[in-house]
Amino acid sequence: MTGRADAFWAVFAREVRGAARSRTYLLLALAVTLVVFALARAGNGPSAGYIPTVVDVLLVIEVLVPAVAFAVGYRAIADDAVRGTLDVLATYPLPPWVYVVGVYAGRAVALLAVVLVPLSILGVVVATTAGPATTVFASHRGVDSPLLFVRFLSLTAVFALTTLAIAVAISALADSRRRAILLALVGLLVVVVGADVAVLRTMTGGLVGVELDALLGLSPASAYRGLVFETVLYVAFSGRSSFVAVPVAAAGLVAWSVASLLIATLAVRRHRASSGV
Amino acid sequence: MTDAYLRATGVDRTFGDVTALADVSMEAPAGRVVALIGPNGSGKTTLLRILAGLLSPTAGEVNYEGPSATRPLGYLPQAPTFRPGFTASETMTFYARLVDDDPTELLDRVGLGNVPDRRVEALSGGMTRLLGIAQALAGDPPVLALDEPASGLDPGMSQRVFDIVQALADDGHAVVVTSHDLPLVERTADRVVILDRGKVVAADTPAALREQTGGPLHETFTSLVDADDSVAIRTEATE
Repeated sequence: MTGRADAFWAVFAREVRGAARSRTYLLLALAVTLVVFALARAGNGPSAGYIPTVVDVLLVIEVLVPAVAFAVGYRAIADDAVRGTLDVLATYPLPPWVYVVGVYAGRAVALLAVVLVPLSILGVVVATTAGPATTVFASHRGVDSPLLFVRFLSLTAVFALTTLAIAVAISALADSRRRAILLALVGLLVVVVGADVAVLRTMTGGLVGVELDALLGLSPASAYRGLVFETVLYVAFSGRSSFVAVPVAAAGLVAWSVASLLIATLAVRRHRASSGV
Repeated sequence: MTDAYLRATGVDRTFGDVTALADVSMEAPAGRVVALIGPNGSGKTTLLRILAGLLSPTAGEVNYEGPSATRPLGYLPQAPTFRPGFTASETMTFYARLVDDDPTELLDRVGLGNVPDRRVEALSGGMTRLLGIAQALAGDPPVLALDEPASGLDPGMSQRVFDIVQALADDGHAVVVTSHDLPLVERTADRVVILDRGKVVAADTPAALREQTGGPLHETFTSLVDADDSVAIRTEATE
């Protein structure tokens, strides 16, 4: 008798194996590498230290990571739906949530490799090229250190996983590859700018009783940006940056991820119940 | 009397204003091949998907009454498609792992044991269909729902597919198959259900259906369905 763990591993292994053979992911990794190194080189961050390097790449990473996440995830479930694989899998002892989590986890491995390997190499470059004066830059609250860069990598990983969950949810809602592309573009816009705009419009609309730093935590991009400011770049500020409420931002990213995977699961379940010929 | 593994009772299915199935009742007994035949759009695939649990009936019910199984029902879609870049063996390993089955044995059962390392996109149409049947067999489900397993295949491959269908029934499976190939249906099916415009117009053994007109099955078929609906049915012998 097979269990849910076995079913999860079967789906997970299929995704990882597929990703490992895909040249697309290799190209994505090369593109990310080129972009982050070009930015860092232009800003001269690596020779100055970890914090200046994070400052150099942060703005573009905010856009680049969701773009890569959507590239990795926008067809994750749509392809199985188009091929009829979802129908076939419905006859197996594979609950929709196990399937969704397996697909998500497998794609997450690919995404994290594409995003984190180039950034980690950048960190190594900083470690080998930064001069001794780097600590002066961060003298207000502490010293520049690899730990701060590791925090940046961790937060970037969480941001990547959150946007991947959104991409997988959108993929589950699409019933064709064309619609998957269209929905992915809309989703990317929402993640990159839409949510921020919505928060700002809410504030200018006169919503009382809620601080801006808490509201910003509800937008994935702002939450990520705020967490980087609060936990990585804070050493460069003389006072609290107060960009975002850390608990709200952390909870916001988790909530986006969980809600997205829940939506994906419900979409797969609905597909099983309503698909017709 | 053979036990029914699957029983449909009074099944209706509508899509918006279109009635795809109306008051369809049938059963799939163990060790028997039940063929669903009918013109294009007669509701064969819709009925098969409802029997497979992939589509809910608007009214009526489908009950599985077979033995307890990890996977009660295996399904072959009309046009099985597999994720490109994977070999036949890797594809089957994925499905087999979901039900703790042996992928090598599954490939052997359908005659694909000699091409385990061939990528699925390099398989012929017939081989792809056989891989789909191997997938449907994973977990040894008591009921098999096969949607046009021989569609688009050459006569030799069609015969091979129906030989496998017959062997599955001989092994005790309840097999429900849709097909446009009436000569093969006539030779293989134990019971034929003829659908026309969503309704069962006849259901009996091939011999009993033949007796209605005294000729081969296709004569009975054309006498029961509207002439305009029957043009897509293959009535020529495959040999």
